[in-house]
Amino acid sequence: MNPVLSVRNVSKSFGGLRAVDDVSFDVHQAEILGLIGPNGSGKSTLFNCVLGQLPASAGTVLVDGKDVAGKRPCDLNKLGVGRTFQMLQVFPEMTVLDNIILAGQEHKGTMLSRLFGKPDAGLTEEALRMIDFFRLGHQTHEKAGSLSYGQQKLLDAAMAFMAGPKLVMLDEPAGGVNLTMLADLKERLRAFNQERGATFVVIEHNMEFVMSLCTRIIVLANGRIIAEGDPETVRNDPTVIEAYLGG
Amino acid sequence: MPDLPFLGTFSMNTFFQLFVSGLATGSIYALAAIGFTLLWQASQTINFAQGEFIMLPAFFVLAGTQFLGLSFPVAMAIALVLSVLLLGLGFKRVIIDPLLPHGVLPIVIATIALGILAKESVKQFYTAEAQPFPALFSDRTLNILGAAISVQDIAVLLIALGAVALLQLFLNGTKIGRCMQATAQNPQVAEILGVPVRRMILFTFLINAALAFLASVLISPIYLAKFSNGETLGLIAFIAAIVGGFNQIRGALAGGLLIGVVDNLAAAYISASYRSAVPLILLIIIILVRPQGLLGKAEGRTV
Repeated sequence: MNPVLSVRNVSKSFGGLRAVDDVSFDVHQAEILGLIGPNGSGKSTLFNCVLGQLPASAGTVLVDGKDVAGKRPCDLNKLGVGRTFQMLQVFPEMTVLDNIILAGQEHKGTMLSRLFGKPDAGLTEEALRMIDFFRLGHQTHEKAGSLSYGQQKLLDAAMAFMAGPKLVMLDEPAGGVNLTMLADLKERLRAFNQERGATFVVIEHNMEFVMSLCTRIIVLANGRIIAEGDPETVRNDPTVIEAYLGG
Repeated sequence: MPDLPFLGTFSMNTFFQLFVSGLATGSIYALAAIGFTLLWQASQTINFAQGEFIMLPAFFVLAGTQFLGLSFPVAMAIALVLSVLLLGLGFKRVIIDPLLPHGVLPIVIATIALGILAKESVKQFYTAEAQPFPALFSDRTLNILGAAISVQDIAVLLIALGAVALLQLFLNGTKIGRCMQATAQNPQVAEILGVPVRRMILFTFLINAALAFLASVLISPIYLAKFSNGETLGLIAFIAAIVGGFNQIRGALAGGLLIGVVDNLAAAYISASYRSAVPLILLIIIILVRPQGLLGKAEGRTV
């Protein structure tokens, strides 16, 4: 079986700076891969290369065995790569339900079907299930902008999962979320992973969060992979400690 | 009747009459104001040629009937298509698209220039005289609760409000409308989710042009078609949008109606010669008391 995501010898340079330097790794079905590293280690650049927001200078990215070079973010979305955002990204004036429906619907069809088709694209039931799953049920009809920061993060995650993606890329899901909400988010992500075999790649600064959520961790420093393994191995790896502390 | 010294003799019937005709003109202002808010939401465009966008379609119709000898309904249909093409598609492609990456100010200047160009062109190549425009409705009056209300006022009000209701239905009740809202609220995410963002923005411009056409053919029978109509209309629509809250369709509607009514009442009861100051006074009061507008929400986010 193909890995869900395969990054092969990807490099990205900005002028003389090699932000990502010959990085390769695979992500398999139902894995939760953590991507960590000190600031400036190239995590976000790598993330953006995978998501089609930056063209890689070299190397290939395969999603489910298909090369996605040159694909735009919305094409990747269609190929089954969902994502959440570091900065909150919801539609603030729409209800929670409408946000999720919008994330789930396929944006194609004729002008007529767009005008006269069901505005919910037949997704209301599934959206309500998703809302319940992320425990936002009591806020289904509230405007997304009125939710607390942590709840908006949950909504963001629910939106990413709505289109039934093969792979979800989570960009600092824990950033700015309070501790209670964080436990909730982690628990929900893990439940989603176990119940539906969903596959995640997580970029995160919050070590505790990554260590307790991920099944495997890759550590980047200066654009290169310096360590890889299960959380316990990575936690005790001297090169990792040095990269973080020695700077 | 109470005799108020500074108001002359106050008659409830006259008041009601003025109120309804104020609502009618106000609903036309609202159409233009809604166009302002739509463009603002979709692409941070403030169209200072909006007044001229409302002045022009009436001349498209007149040119069709006078120069081409078309019948009035045919000329109207052609003018609608022409408005949508020129003031919607053309405006977006030729002026907005190239300037949008450079920020708001170049667009402001370009639209002011466009307004002047449209106004002076009509004056130069068509006429500087006010042109009568065929009334769409009978000029009969109906006796409602003792007040003489003109059929035209009621029809204008119903059509304008009907158009706003249709627009709301479109935005909230269709997939495409929701995608337009998503585009206005968060274009980056909408794009990633696969919403054809550019097309959604274009639709906004087409809708604005259609609203301008509607406003034009509703207001021209009342005020006559004149090259300089856009000056007042654009200003009032702009003020109505601000008064109502620039980021809300409902707000623009409320702002338009409010200005129409206040303007009409002030002209009758306070002073006709100071009537054009009324919207400005209203604007100043709103900015002082409620800067986000009547129904608007303050932009920017609390974290």
